[in-house]
Amino acid sequence: MAGVSDGDAAASDSSTADDAERTNATMRGSKVVVDDVGKVYESDRQRVEALSGVRFTVNDGEFVCLVGPSGCGKTTLFRTIAGLEAPTSGEIRLDGEPVTGPGTDRGMVFQEYGLFPWRTVRENVAFGLEEQGVRGTERTDRIDEMLQLVGLTDFADAYPKELSGGMKQRVGIARALAVDPEILLADEPFGSVDAQTRDMLHQELLRIWSETEKTVLFVTHDVEEAVKLSDRVVVMAADPGRVREVVTVDLDRPRDRTEPAFGEYVDRVRRLIGE
Amino acid sequence: MSLETGATSGTGTSEAARPDEESDSVSTSSLADLDGTSFAYGAVGSLAFLALWQAAAMAVDRTYLLPSPVEVATAFVVELTAPTTFTVPFVGVAMPATRLTANLAQSLLHYLPGLVVGSVLGIALGVGMGWSGRLDDALTPVTRFLRPIPPLAWIVFAIVWIGIGHGGAAFIVGIGAFWINFYNAYAGVEGVETHLKEVAASLGVDDDLTMIRKVILPAATPSIATGIRTSIGQCWMIVVAAELFGAPGVGFQIINAAQNLATDVSVAYMAVISLVFLVSDGLFRRVERRVLAWRA
Ligand SMILES: Nc1ncnc2c1ncn2[C@@H]1O[C@H](COP(=O)(O)OP(=O)(O)O)[C@@H](O)[C@H]1O
Ligand SMILES: [Mg+2]
Repeated sequence: MAGVSDGDAAASDSSTADDAERTNATMRGSKVVVDDVGKVYESDRQRVEALSGVRFTVNDGEFVCLVGPSGCGKTTLFRTIAGLEAPTSGEIRLDGEPVTGPGTDRGMVFQEYGLFPWRTVRENVAFGLEEQGVRGTERTDRIDEMLQLVGLTDFADAYPKELSGGMKQRVGIARALAVDPEILLADEPFGSVDAQTRDMLHQELLRIWSETEKTVLFVTHDVEEAVKLSDRVVVMAADPGRVREVVTVDLDRPRDRTEPAFGEYVDRVRRLIGE
Repeated sequence: MSLETGATSGTGTSEAARPDEESDSVSTSSLADLDGTSFAYGAVGSLAFLALWQAAAMAVDRTYLLPSPVEVATAFVVELTAPTTFTVPFVGVAMPATRLTANLAQSLLHYLPGLVVGSVLGIALGVGMGWSGRLDDALTPVTRFLRPIPPLAWIVFAIVWIGIGHGGAAFIVGIGAFWINFYNAYAGVEGVETHLKEVAASLGVDDDLTMIRKVILPAATPSIATGIRTSIGQCWMIVVAAELFGAPGVGFQIINAAQNLATDVSVAYMAVISLVFLVSDGLFRRVERRVLAWRA
């Protein structure tokens, strides 16, 4: 929990180059700055360096994927950016402001959906709006708009238990977007749905992304998924969790998995991961 | 996936269109759960049991040793119809009643307050300790030490503080309800998925009270409901035990009749307890199924 204030000290030891980069990044319209983030889990028996010197930026409106082998710290980084955990060193900044906790500026989507089972689809989407004090027709309209966006209008009154995995995740996305966050954070959101549904959800997510112009940070261990979706792929390595390279995917959308250029990107990322 | 189940497995009536209300047979201790097919087997088994009992009673041929089902049924009807008056405590109004309904009313007078107050306090402490690690740390030694003491042992304080009447019996019933609900509420709150709390935080919940009201309590409701349902049953056991010490009611009648060797009347009142339990448990399950329709 040493966290946020210690971060500055840790970050500033490499002085001017960092400062220059920081200013530069801010001027380019960086939405998220991950600045020399380290995270150590310590228990009586062991010490795990989940993240070490992680540094990258996500620009406003950009779609960035984090890929890497299991255990390389993707979830840890996701949780730090979400504000659910404090980094041991370094800091995360959103629009220049250090992250100190979770907030409605960052919508979260999990692999396990995290839907409130006692609430219907509509009521799940309403949750954040209730907290913001949005009421009456304004709330109803916003919910309807979100349900339409994810194509679940017909299932508004169903309970989560009545939905398939893909539908549940669309509720998760609608609920996260309802409060109009600036960034959508997703941790392996399509990890538990079948391949066909996943393809459909990819298309939908890209459509939603271009319609809403949100910044998206998407964690996955699936290299093809990362190349399919993102503007840039942050490739991570394990022990300690760190950034190996950031790959810019310079392909037009919609992207075709069968195209040679697509395959080349996939191969390149795979080589970086060491698969 | 179960959207289809909801639409297709209905068998004509609109009631049957909700399969999870019909097929929810997690445990089957209630009469209400018997469906068509098992009903036939149930009837055969029940008749065989009654016939065996009747035969045994005829062989013994002493009502006070083993009353027959017919004698018990007769005693039941007599108790159900024999007129008496029931004086409502505190108010002092005398109401026309029968022996059976008067005794049942006496029991309910300590059963209900004990159940309600004990449950509410148990749930409150269970939620409090499940939510707050500090409260948990502070009180766990105390709860661990007090928990193994059977509710009936607290009769000591019922006697010296309140006396064995409705108050004393309610006190003991309340202790029983308290522990059952305490543990279920505690487990329910502890078991709330971290994800749900994190999602709520990311959607703007930033104070404990809102988190408890909007996430913790709804998520813990199934567990809390199980606690209430368990205590509805367990508290009848405690009622009978408390009445053995002299509080008026159905349990007292069981002992009282036995001491007069009117064993048929004793067994009739034993049946009353069973019936009351089955009815209240069935009603509660109905409410539970409706309120917790969202459960998988
Ligand atoms: N709460 C925690 N306590 C201790 N170690 C943890 C904790 N969370 C993650 N780790 C460790 O940190 C490393 C990175 O984990 P994680 O971020 O979940 O990786 P990924 O999501 O890429 O699979 C792993 O070695 C994991 O065991
Ligand atoms: Mg992970």
